[in-house]
Amino acid sequence: MLGELGIIFVSIALLISLALIYFSFNEVKNSSNLIPKKIYKFSLLQLIFSLLSFVALLAGYVFSDFSIINVYENSHTTKPLFYKISGTWGNHEGSLLLWINILVLFSSLFLFINKNKNKNFKIFTLLFQNLLIVIFFIFLLTNSNPFSTIYPIPNEGMGLNPILQDPALAIHPPLLYIGFVGSSIYFSAALSALVSKIDAKSLATSIKPWILVSWFFQTVGILVGSIWAYYELGWGGYWFWDPVENSSLMPWFVMTALLHSVLVLERKIGLYSWVIVLSILTFTMSVAGTFLVRSGILNSVHTFANDPSRGLFILTFLILMVFSSIFIFFKHAPTENKNYRILSKEFFILINNWFMIFFLAVVLIGTLYPIFLDTLTGTKISVGPPYYNFILAPFLIPLLFLMTSGPKHKWISSEIKKFINIVLFLSIFLFLITFFIVKENSLLLNLILFFSIYLIIQTLFDLYDGLKSRSINLSRIISHLGFGLLIFFIFINHIFSQESNFNLRVGETKETDNYVIKFENLEKFSDSNYKSIIGHFKISNKKKLFKENLKPEIRIYNKPMTVTYEASINSGFFSDTYLTMSNISDSDIFNIKFQKKPFMNFIWLSVLLVSLGGLINFFNRKNSI
Amino acid sequence: MLNIKVKNRLSIFIALSVISILIIIFIFKALEDNVLYFYSPSEINNQNDVIFKKDIRIGGMVKNGSIQSNENEIKFIVTDFKNEIIVSYKGTVPALFAEGKGAVVEGKLRDKKYFVAKRILAKHDENYMPPEIKETLEKNAR
Amino acid sequence: MKKIHLLLICIFFSFIFIVLYLSLQNSKIYDTENLVGKKITESELNLFGKDGTFNTKEISNYQFTLLNFWASWCGPCRKEHKNLLRLSKNENLKIIGVNFKDNEYNARQFLQEMGNPFYILTEDSKGKKSVNFGVYGIPETILVNSELIILKKYIGPLSSKDVNEISKLIKK
Repeated sequence: MLGELGIIFVSIALLISLALIYFSFNEVKNSSNLIPKKIYKFSLLQLIFSLLSFVALLAGYVFSDFSIINVYENSHTTKPLFYKISGTWGNHEGSLLLWINILVLFSSLFLFINKNKNKNFKIFTLLFQNLLIVIFFIFLLTNSNPFSTIYPIPNEGMGLNPILQDPALAIHPPLLYIGFVGSSIYFSAALSALVSKIDAKSLATSIKPWILVSWFFQTVGILVGSIWAYYELGWGGYWFWDPVENSSLMPWFVMTALLHSVLVLERKIGLYSWVIVLSILTFTMSVAGTFLVRSGILNSVHTFANDPSRGLFILTFLILMVFSSIFIFFKHAPTENKNYRILSKEFFILINNWFMIFFLAVVLIGTLYPIFLDTLTGTKISVGPPYYNFILAPFLIPLLFLMTSGPKHKWISSEIKKFINIVLFLSIFLFLITFFIVKENSLLLNLILFFSIYLIIQTLFDLYDGLKSRSINLSRIISHLGFGLLIFFIFINHIFSQESNFNLRVGETKETDNYVIKFENLEKFSDSNYKSIIGHFKISNKKKLFKENLKPEIRIYNKPMTVTYEASINSGFFSDTYLTMSNISDSDIFNIKFQKKPFMNFIWLSVLLVSLGGLINFFNRKNSI
Repeated sequence: MLNIKVKNRLSIFIALSVISILIIIFIFKALEDNVLYFYSPSEINNQNDVIFKKDIRIGGMVKNGSIQSNENEIKFIVTDFKNEIIVSYKGTVPALFAEGKGAVVEGKLRDKKYFVAKRILAKHDENYMPPEIKETLEKNAR
Repeated sequence: MKKIHLLLICIFFSFIFIVLYLSLQNSKIYDTENLVGKKITESELNLFGKDGTFNTKEISNYQFTLLNFWASWCGPCRKEHKNLLRLSKNENLKIIGVNFKDNEYNARQFLQEMGNPFYILTEDSKGKKSVNFGVYGIPETILVNSELIILKKYIGPLSSKDVNEISKLIKK
């Protein structure tokens, strides 16, 4: 019943979307400046039926309706309710339905909320957005239908993979989708701006809130993914330059550049072409990322299952999207005069754009290079952290410097300000303290540490000055402060992280330079769907006489038969102690990996701070820079 | 006649082109130096100039009965049914690591028959064999 | 200037898309679907746990046959086992199992624990015979009709979509 209902709702939503395209197209020729009520009503209906179809699938999961194949393959009656619900989008078909719902949601919201006076601009945005929606609906119905049914109805589901039952993993997709799927709306708005020839400032005002919202969710979504990887994957790392991770990072670079550019455009000063191109590029990178992840051409730790037919559909769509956008851009190319001068704020934002494009290119090349090489020459390689770290790290230095000095310059033109000031001296002083504690030899790392300190101190001074003079750009200060802190803590963590690998039997002790690790005993534990072996370890810090207890586990689930290793992590204020244990063939020897990861919590908080800046700007009505 | 404006534009254009070319060269050099090549045990065996300095990856099946643990390390054999390599590894193993299953190890070669691994890789979904290994086995089955 | 820009950009993107398309094709090579429509290779497989052999020619005695390659150590095989049991209830379909590179004791334990859908069970402990069917990894399932023609090849665990498809194909 639910399966049939779901298909009906989807089909109705598709028909309404087609109708919207038709009405919008007709409405363009109409000289009236008001959007007819018909369009509003149809848009609302579209949203209702689209949401209904999602609710139908959700209900299938919540009530364990195994007549729906998607529910049968991905759920189980004994799954906790929270994970039944999140199972809805934890698979290809369900997540595609979520994609579509976000496309529809943003489409309707834009229509209802946006107050732009140019009717054609709104109509064309609706038109382009609904073209996207229709294509995705067709993809869903023909290739990835979540509502196909099965008979006879199985009485139990197959999807009880314990690895997928994790809170972070459950909310990670919806967060990211609001981010990069939400970018569809300003993709459509950009194309619409070209065709309807709306002026720069009004475009900026219209799309800025949407950019802020999608950027915020993208940032938080990436953060949640990293936190999950850290706590669940057991390697102690939080970013692996994995193609799937890169697919979420690449749109983020473009969004960040766009965010800064639209702030310039708002003041009608320039970067109009940039805003258009970046808006188109964000959603393009989102679709490209989806292609990489779902087509099966990538070999990654966490791809969806392989299906080249999906890949072909998405690739075709991507090609159509890119070439149509290029064509529309060249046909309706905007004219603008570039009247900014060197060392103006706009100039610095332009430089920032180039940095973001550079980072995007580096990550894109690193992600695609193995695929290209394999297809063209058959050589199999993998590109990992060494490449990314090698290229990206040095460029952090000029980026940090520009973030520190850029905002001090006025719009349009400025003289070179005095850099020799208290901020510089304080930063040098703090850096020297850091240098003596860290004792790091690498010039590169020291420069990065210095410039991140410089950024932090400068933003703190800006905060103080701004609060005193009551004119403050809080969002920029908070985000840049967060970024400075993030880089600082990432590198301190990198320098001070320690790892020891060794084998131990129960009762034995291992001594490293700073720690004593005692394998006290082994505990056996049984739960309803798994059995586990818990190792009790006592870690003592030789210098500080500080002891902690850690309990890594080896879990054996019975339905389906899976083995997982649960890391034991003590998240302290200054550092995390991280212990994992594995065992082969029931031998009495256990493999232990012991790690100390400093300032992990500070890394997470820094990212939150960065995203907070965006949130502040969203709620700020005055918008001063 | 080149007036100031055109000259400026030209010099900016040339500067940008040079910078772009330098950056692209830089990126590809970084790639070359930092990519990890993948080999099967047979490919290692047949190569004359073996790579000892760089990290590489080797993949195949873990030979049945070959896993041994002692106080210091784990040892096992990776085979593609034509050639074998002994692998030594210190650290925790992924949950999907077992005899008779596919494995990809990353590290350095000590010699043609001995490999010191830093990492053992396994997937989180249920695909049974990375395509690289499957292709190797396909080549060897002929 | 503008037209050249346009042309260069189009060429650049076309190159990227062509390579991506080719890589999609590449990943299909592992789906040896070009065997579909051809006759299944004639091969003699040892019976599991007893003396004697099974010759693939005998498939012509059954309306439809499913050749399923599996092992006790293979995770995805567990996942698809329920679907095999469901399929085995069809009267006009016989499931022939090929136990691939496995240990007899473990294989028996597996079937005892999960159920036995196999009409006839054979073994290929070295994996050499399976290669003749184009099988290098498991699970893999081949649907054959009484004329020994391969109707479908399923690489990876049988999904419910596959079960539906098989059920429809064997009704004819």
